[in-house]
Amino acid sequence: MIRIAAVGDIHMAPETRGALRPAFETLPECADLLLLAGDLTRHGTPEEARVVADEIRGLGVPVVAVLGNHDHHDDRPDEVTALLRDAGAHVLEGEGTVVDTGGARIGVAGTKGFGGGFVGGSAGEFGEPVMKEFVRHSRRCADGLRTSLERLEGEGCDVRIALTHYSPVPETLAGEPLEIYPFLGSYLLAEAIDTAGADLAVHGHAHAGTEHGMTTGGVRVRNVAQPVIGRAFHVYHLPAPERVSAGAGARAATG
Amino acid sequence: MNAHDAGSAGGTPPARSPEYRVAHLQDRLASGELGELGVRIEVRGGAVLVTGTVPSAQCREEVLGSVREELVGLEVHCDIMVSDTSSPDHAEELS
Repeated sequence: MIRIAAVGDIHMAPETRGALRPAFETLPECADLLLLAGDLTRHGTPEEARVVADEIRGLGVPVVAVLGNHDHHDDRPDEVTALLRDAGAHVLEGEGTVVDTGGARIGVAGTKGFGGGFVGGSAGEFGEPVMKEFVRHSRRCADGLRTSLERLEGEGCDVRIALTHYSPVPETLAGEPLEIYPFLGSYLLAEAIDTAGADLAVHGHAHAGTEHGMTTGGVRVRNVAQPVIGRAFHVYHLPAPERVSAGAGARAATG
Repeated sequence: MNAHDAGSAGGTPPARSPEYRVAHLQDRLASGELGELGVRIEVRGGAVLVTGTVPSAQCREEVLGSVREELVGLEVHCDIMVSDTSSPDHAEELS
């Protein structure tokens, strides 16, 4: 069995320093890796990123993360990324990583993703430059997700996971106002996931949404925004190939 | 009378209407120091309902402070929770 822990939207700042650490220290007992689905900080400042870095440093399980819109607010996503990487996290944007754990190879492809909406109510690449750039940004994120999932397929992964901040499907937004769906996700992400294939898709961003959804192609989607799951993280068990045996010690290599 | 001056004709002055005040509050919470996009503010009848989950008790107090300042004179019902940081008690099996 492959055990995936995941949470997003932890929105850390100096006043929440240490709040998640007690729960995170239980991770080696219940999970093979931890996925962080973006919005790890409140404003994307290096000061807040250092709080997140200290929260995840030396956890005993590999940590794979994407950034969210909050982590971009201070216009220093590269600094945020560097601080998290310095703490040992694999921070993905249009790339993938393979975590080797007890014989199972877990591939994670990640992107922040972006908005634009869903089939029947989506934005088009038309009109003002800012509108065209909005849609192009979403498309670039989705393309990066697709190519990294495809690359992971060639690396002999036992399972492949799509990790995003924005949602690939509208189902996991249920509870949010319909009017803001185009700001919460894009069907382009789901199309990328269904085209390349994946065993699970994990996202955050929609605090008032719901946990469970599925792409048109049948890939399970989980919204792990902390206000949605109501815990420090949730754990998902995926069936592993029979040759996999449970074991401690894990290593990861960015691909 | 100016055709656009609906306020002086007896209605609520547009700038004071609860809907616009709530919209300004939402913008202040998101774009101001708090950077808070996870709080929902709705006009319900004659009152305003504020709901959502925030990462800390301090953040909750800051949000409530902004709500009190922006919505002076309006009846406000607040139901803002602080995130639960406990470990999960079960896993989901995805067979």
